[in-house]
Amino acid sequence: MRILTTFKQETLKLLKKTRAWLGPILVFVLIMIAYPLTVELSSQNLSDAFYPVLFISCLLVMMLATEGIFLEDFEDGSLEQLVITGNSLYQSIIIKIFIYWLFIGIPISILGSLFNVGSGNTMDSSLMLLPPLMITTYIFLILFCFGNALSLTKGSVLGTLITMPLLLPILVILGKLTTAILFNINYFGFLILLFGILSIIIFIFPAIISKIIKTHLE
Amino acid sequence: MLREIINTVIKKFIHQFASPKTYFLQVKRLYPWVFYISIAIYVVAITWGLLFTPKDFVQGNSYRIIYFHVPASFIAQSLYAAMAFSSAVYLIWKVKLAAYLSRSIAPVGATVTLIALISGSIWGIPTWGTWWEWDARITSTLILFIMYLGLISLHNSFNNFEKADKLFSYLAIIGFIQIPIIKKSVDWWSSLHQPASITISDKPSIDPVMLYPLFLSIIGFSGLVACLVILSSKVQIYKREKNKNWIKDYV
Repeated sequence: MRILTTFKQETLKLLKKTRAWLGPILVFVLIMIAYPLTVELSSQNLSDAFYPVLFISCLLVMMLATEGIFLEDFEDGSLEQLVITGNSLYQSIIIKIFIYWLFIGIPISILGSLFNVGSGNTMDSSLMLLPPLMITTYIFLILFCFGNALSLTKGSVLGTLITMPLLLPILVILGKLTTAILFNINYFGFLILLFGILSIIIFIFPAIISKIIKTHLE
Repeated sequence: MLREIINTVIKKFIHQFASPKTYFLQVKRLYPWVFYISIAIYVVAITWGLLFTPKDFVQGNSYRIIYFHVPASFIAQSLYAAMAFSSAVYLIWKVKLAAYLSRSIAPVGATVTLIALISGSIWGIPTWGTWWEWDARITSTLILFIMYLGLISLHNSFNNFEKADKLFSYLAIIGFIQIPIIKKSVDWWSSLHQPASITISDKPSIDPVMLYPLFLSIIGFSGLVACLVILSSKVQIYKREKNKNWIKDYV
């Protein structure tokens, strides 16, 4: 019951701030529009460098999306209220990240696979791209939340600086996955690897984040 | 029962030896010994390695940078492990000294990692013909360097030392994930960098003539790095304990 209430509250909180959920999606679309403009139109090989651009723009957009994820609640005292009243901070962080993924991660994954068709790749590769994109956006969200919780009052540059090194192994896996998609090899090994990483961090990191936020509240 | 014994031993240890004052005094006494012995060992290792070992069959004389590069890259990773360990000690038993140590290891670790990167890229010119390659081992070492800098900047951005120590420790422990990735990167990805020559399980694939000076150089280099860590931890103690009375006798 309480989970449902938290779910509803967090959804309302996010939807009220249009900038917080629509902004990152629009920035993503703008990056995707900017990409073909930087390639010479006559050369017609947009698809060559599309995947790296897609993954890096996903990374940057997730960084933008999590920029003020805890800051506002921290400053108006609702996080402290949550801790004092004895409610589980851990639970509400899990739900918060899930809602951010629902409203930002999923639209970006769908738009990304649409732009994949737009840049000259096949429809099949687009369908193959959708599940890894959904998983990676979730992983990026969780890790950037960790960074932003660490540098809560000090701005998102510091948070990004300390999170990016942790994200680079995932980018390596994505690079291997791209090769598998392009050459039409069986890519489920990499997909399961990504899913395994997600299933480990999805419950461990919120616990660490709640510890960190309690440190900030002390 | 066992748990209680461990707890009492640890508490005794913490109270007797891990107070900053005792550490400071002990280190003051030990420092010259560590410094002179390790510099002697390193000089012996370097002389042995540069003058009395034969040329390499493939690389000629250029391989001799191994007596500098291998200790540096080995210690860069070991220092991170030490830092993560002392951060864990700080978070579990609230030992102040452990937090000072982990903070003082970070700049030393960054320096040693930079030394490993630069010496590696100098070695790369005669053997691979390039200064830099986007190779698994090299890139992950660069990430380790950035990680050290991120830790330092995280700690420096908070005025409250206790908060900064806690956040630093969380990040250091999470960042420990990279160490096995760096260690195993040469085995998991195809790369230019050669696999490890010295492992615990197998016989070393390097000739004993070159191996003994290499071991000596690792020991000497780690002694010198330990001296740097001691100096840096003294700075931390001066900074944090500046309001205590005992420190005034040693300034």
